[in-house]
Amino acid sequence: MQDIDVKTEHRVTKIDPKGKRIEVVNLANSQTQWFSYDRLIIATGARSRRLNIPGSNAKNIFTLKDLQDGLRIKNYIDEKRPGQVAILGGGFIGLEMCEAFRLRNLETFLFCRRDLPAGNLEKEISEKILKALQENGVHFITYQEPAAFRLDSNGEVTSLETNQTHFPADMILMAVGVIPNVEIANEAGAELGKTGAIRTDMAQRTNLADIYTAGDCCEVFNLVSQDWVHTPLGDIANKQGRTAGENAAGGNATFSGVVGSAAFKVFELEVAFTGLGMQMARQYGFDADSQVIEAESKVGYMPGSKQMLIKLIFDRQSGRLLGAQMAGKEGVARRINALAVALHQKMTVDEISRLDFAYAPPFSAPFDPILIAAEQASRKVQRS
Amino acid sequence: MSRRAKLVILGGSAAGPSAAARAKRVNPDLEVAMFEQGRFISYGS
Repeated sequence: MQDIDVKTEHRVTKIDPKGKRIEVVNLANSQTQWFSYDRLIIATGARSRRLNIPGSNAKNIFTLKDLQDGLRIKNYIDEKRPGQVAILGGGFIGLEMCEAFRLRNLETFLFCRRDLPAGNLEKEISEKILKALQENGVHFITYQEPAAFRLDSNGEVTSLETNQTHFPADMILMAVGVIPNVEIANEAGAELGKTGAIRTDMAQRTNLADIYTAGDCCEVFNLVSQDWVHTPLGDIANKQGRTAGENAAGGNATFSGVVGSAAFKVFELEVAFTGLGMQMARQYGFDADSQVIEAESKVGYMPGSKQMLIKLIFDRQSGRLLGAQMAGKEGVARRINALAVALHQKMTVDEISRLDFAYAPPFSAPFDPILIAAEQASRKVQRS
Repeated sequence: MSRRAKLVILGGSAAGPSAAARAKRVNPDLEVAMFEQGRFISYGS
């Protein structure tokens, strides 16, 4: 970067908003220094949550948040050649790491408190994910609240104990969510929202003068629920960062919010979603209904055509789309973006069903899976 | 001559570098410093 003073291995320990300065520890020599600022941007991110159970600080228990974590895991596998890994948590990180560990030929056990992986997605999607795991030799183990880790004399985990039984494991990945790094901001007087992340606005300001915030440490506005939420994702962080940077430099930018889009891959299965699930839609007071369809990703006679499942969530009274989730082995992750646009534009399922999508046999059927799903959903909308 | 305005950014993963680059583009005279506790920047995106 040009003319930007980048100081790595420097930990910021205090913000003094009255004196407009920060306290920084140089981790290389443990020296503490104060730096002054005119404008400050808090982009302190989030950290992996760790389960606080006996043995949880063992050397071969890993979390995965950044490059250093990834290198630690890779080096451990290279050096110790573990045979079995236990992953705690069936969210995106846990699921993506199932694939990574299987590629390294580790016997992989995925422990999940719910009876399906990706518990925040719709059941139909989670069932597809479970099938992909099983097809690829991952052992999915449910309703096993971990109670403790059993360690050997080297301080390394040898097994995971649950309330019912114990499982031998040569290494553990804890993938049980993240916690926003808000402590130094909060100590300086920055307000937090109800999610526990730093409260902000569409200009990425905090309540403190000349202090902005961006990324996984702060909240973001969800345009569908019209609520401030904590959605720690890299694309959002970049957009918020760009807005904060522009405004801190004297500009006048706004970041109006997100609709809640994301995608991930579990072995060959693509999973993508946008907007609200059924439960959230109801919690926010919508008269939510849903439509599930399965359709081919291309015209059926084309090589490589694969089944995909689409679930649309919509308001039964207005017909407005509230959310969409998809899973399939081809053509899923990009397709969701059309529905993200529909959410931004508050389109109804009837309007979506009549969209002019590009058609050719290698890409979709004349009626794209989205059009089929929207057309079927529109029949459930109440006509007054 | 007045001193250059100083922008300090805490964090060097995704939001921090985006903010630094944008701020510099909007106001090239701005003095920008970015602090990161880890060894790498831009490590997540």
